[in-house]
Amino acid sequence: MASETGESIRPGRAYIPWDDLPVKRETVAGIGTVLPVVVLYLLIAVLPVAFAFWASLHEIHTLNPEWQWAGLANYREVLNISTFWGSLWRGIVYMVGSTLLQLAVGLWMALVLNRITRGQKLLTAVVFTAYLIPTIIVSLVALRVFDPAGGVFQMIGAEWLGLWGGREAPLGSRDWAMRLLILVGTWKFAVFVTIFTLAQLRAIPDRFYEAAKVCGANRWQMFRDITLPRLMGIVTVVVLLRSVFMFNKFDIIWQLTEGGPGNATTTLPVLAYKTVYTDQAYGLANAIAVVMFLFLLASAIIYFKLFNPSEEVETTT
Amino acid sequence: MSQSEPPGGVFGLSYDRETRVIESLKVVSTAIIVLVGAWPIYWMTQLAFTEYETVEDTVTVFPTPDIFTLDNFNVLTEPEMYTYMFNTVVVAIGTIVTVVLVSLIAGYGLARLDFPQKENFARILLIGYLFSPIVIGIPLYQIWQNIGLLGTRFGLIIALSAISMPFAVWLMWKYIMTIPEAHEEAAWVDGASRWRGFRDVVVPQCRPAIIAAALFAFALAWNDFTFAQILLPQTDTTTFAPGILRAMGQAQFLPQAYLMAISLAMTLPPLLFAYFMQSYLLKGFQVRAL
Repeated sequence: MASETGESIRPGRAYIPWDDLPVKRETVAGIGTVLPVVVLYLLIAVLPVAFAFWASLHEIHTLNPEWQWAGLANYREVLNISTFWGSLWRGIVYMVGSTLLQLAVGLWMALVLNRITRGQKLLTAVVFTAYLIPTIIVSLVALRVFDPAGGVFQMIGAEWLGLWGGREAPLGSRDWAMRLLILVGTWKFAVFVTIFTLAQLRAIPDRFYEAAKVCGANRWQMFRDITLPRLMGIVTVVVLLRSVFMFNKFDIIWQLTEGGPGNATTTLPVLAYKTVYTDQAYGLANAIAVVMFLFLLASAIIYFKLFNPSEEVETTT
Repeated sequence: MSQSEPPGGVFGLSYDRETRVIESLKVVSTAIIVLVGAWPIYWMTQLAFTEYETVEDTVTVFPTPDIFTLDNFNVLTEPEMYTYMFNTVVVAIGTIVTVVLVSLIAGYGLARLDFPQKENFARILLIGYLFSPIVIGIPLYQIWQNIGLLGTRFGLIIALSAISMPFAVWLMWKYIMTIPEAHEEAAWVDGASRWRGFRDVVVPQCRPAIIAAALFAFALAWNDFTFAQILLPQTDTTTFAPGILRAMGQAQFLPQAYLMAISLAMTLPPLLFAYFMQSYLLKGFQVRAL
């Protein structure tokens, strides 16, 4: 990078005999440009995952880090505790439920927004706000409206719809906690789907539709043969990303229910967090983290093999 | 289908009737989106302007003059809350600067320079999407503790920047590809170095992509809860999201109306960005940076 800085063509600069070196100048410069990214990745991705794997082989107390070799004992414990399998199952329910709902709502919003002629700026702003607003604020508002004391949704649910009792907190009920988490999450994250698909929809040239109209295609045929094929690539990518993000979702669950009531909303990330700070079992938590990482890696590889999202997106121009 | 026959509708309706059906569906959908999308923000705002005793246990829909108050916003001047907000702003700015600088340079390298394994590098970058804050955060807790970054804003900025990288780098790469190389060649002919060409020709043209990358980095940093919760464990030096959650558990006196007031303050910047910067957000996405 040093050779690239400043107006260094001027005299006074050290001479580097590029012609005599075995590497080309462009190669060095190219690798130099991506070096900061590589360093960040090593520091934030490779190192922690390697560290997690190494720590998972030890018995470690969170506050008193004395490492004791334990071999694979942590993994045996992870696979044997019932909370692990329960959390994995709840995590999958949460992931699939959230992704499907978000995909449906997000696509619907994108199709509507694409066709709106008036007030589009305001409407798009509303959609983007949901994306940019911090999760904690969504959680605070949700906690407020589902609070038995003066919460408007709690009141509507109890008095108008009879879904829960008058003094009952829906977020503390086994029946409702998970469903409400999925709903609140959808309000916040469906727009992610919208943003991606809307950009793709706007990129479809009008002449395609005009040509189809001239040839006598109806709306459904236009949607099926022009819009849908163009969307498939981005939808595949979005489904992958949303599934991964929802599977890893920790913040909104922790803020709304802390994994409760009981373990009713404890997914794997929440379980890992609780293992670190409630059970003080740092080694065990790392074992859970490694298992999560492997699970995600495996699903991503399968997904990339099936659909190859990056190629799909690159070639849909 | 023959040319004389007008295109038939989906449900056997005539074309005109179908247009009307679709138009009305569109209006209904728009109404639902606006209502559902804006409702929580309205609710938060109206509660923030209502007297806190009222908010505690009754449902109100509008701050009528007898319960209207501005006192809830006094919570913003409490030193604790002020620290949380200040930390969040510092972390957001730090993340934006790091992400834009690093991704701009890497994007330029990927688009313009040739080096071995370039495409594979970009592909591997996408694995970054798999980094869940919790999977990375738990090991990072001890790593940061060992090298003294635990509890510092700098440690949090690095972690958040890395998480934003895959999107930002792909965005810059794809965007710079759309800028004709001839612009730079013209500068080189006039004697500019590669760095000059990058700085004076490429960077100014990348403005939409830079703003988009900055907005997404901002959203990530402003949003972040998990990393801050793990990497900034001290209650008095943390950012807004974990701070307010802990304050709710510990503070003696923190009525809901105060929470709504401070939430409103934290929502304003994203709200303004969403309204005034949306063309950049969409433009950034149009290059299909994924």
